[in-house]
Amino acid sequence: MTGPIAQQTSGTNQVQRGGSGSGLADVVDLILEKGLVIDLYARVSLVGIEILTVDVRIVVASVDTYLRFAEAVNRLDIAHDGTSQGLPEFVGGMQESGAKKKTRGALEGAQERLKETFGGDEDSDEEKQSARRRSSRKKEDEES
Amino acid sequence: MTTPQSPGGSTSGDAPQDERAPQYIYGVTRSGAALPGDVLGLDDKPVTLVEDGGVCAAIVSDLPQGRALGERADLVAHQRVLNALVDAGTVVLPFRFGAALADRAAVEKELLAGNSERFGQILEQLDGMVELRVKATYVQDAVLREIMTGDPEIAELSQRLREVPPDAADAVYYDRIRLGELIAQTMERMREADGQTLLDGAAPAAEAAVTKTPAREEDVLDASFLVRADKRAEFEQAVDKLATDHGERVKVRLIGPLPPYDFVPEE
Repeated sequence: MTGPIAQQTSGTNQVQRGGSGSGLADVVDLILEKGLVIDLYARVSLVGIEILTVDVRIVVASVDTYLRFAEAVNRLDIAHDGTSQGLPEFVGGMQESGAKKKTRGALEGAQERLKETFGGDEDSDEEKQSARRRSSRKKEDEES
Repeated sequence: MTTPQSPGGSTSGDAPQDERAPQYIYGVTRSGAALPGDVLGLDDKPVTLVEDGGVCAAIVSDLPQGRALGERADLVAHQRVLNALVDAGTVVLPFRFGAALADRAAVEKELLAGNSERFGQILEQLDGMVELRVKATYVQDAVLREIMTGDPEIAELSQRLREVPPDAADAVYYDRIRLGELIAQTMERMREADGQTLLDGAAPAAEAAVTKTPAREEDVLDASFLVRADKRAEFEQAVDKLATDHGERVKVRLIGPLPPYDFVPEE
């Protein structure tokens, strides 16, 4: 999906617009976590819907994060001026970070699910392969 | 009573409708609301209204059969349908992704009949409002510089680590972690103040605001605002001003209008 958010206007002080055609990443938590829920959800399983949950929170005190900052600062020093790229800007929000960052701990399960769900057109080969491995492993489990 | 089509609404549902087909529910709107003519639901199925003669109508389409929902395209479709109504200025009560009922009669009897009054009240409250979401993120380099110049301990540690040759980086692994930790802590303190400043700047033009826990360390603010349609320009100007005033160090994004997901009463 290429919404307006895909166009970065770096270097300007303007607000970036993501209109109603916003990227899924900007609204996915709303779709899955907000909105009206009524008791009919008890019936949902009857029609075979898989309900996903998003749990994207700051991974508290993550070593990965610390190393990332340390590295960024190091690069900053070398660059001196403001033209360096720095870390990639995570405009896509949790979608990208969920899919591309190696995560660990309790969030892993949820993010794996999200990866499969949202990976879509952005999947790297590596991720596709690991998804395939997962599914083939599942198949083997079922067969055995 | 079943009303398969909204009066004067979409004609995209001209495919024969199976009254027995399971229905996916996107949300609820006023009965008689006009559906945007060209909006398609899950698997590009036509979107229709189910009405029970009360004040509300359910926005539905046939449920895709033979597979579980939850793919990216499904979420996009859910959002697309609701946003089509929002864009048309039609009040909508968005449902969380994943609601379905056995058939159109079930939507009428199990969803609408018992809840029509309550839905009607919520629609009344939401009428003429849209949700706008503001996400603000630090401009990484600018803020890292700020942190470095503002904290001698960080500056010193960073300087020391910079002099370590790359092949000896492993030896200072824990120092690098310490540096990153100090930066993260400082950033968190900054975020509290900066996030509040941004919130205070945007909130006056909104009827209500909900803040979310930022998902990443660089995030300053993630907040949704319920904004009256006639005050939307004012709100957007306020956000523009924030982006201009803080643009050197904070990137501000404005997302929406969205269905008022964050302002649906929880029960």
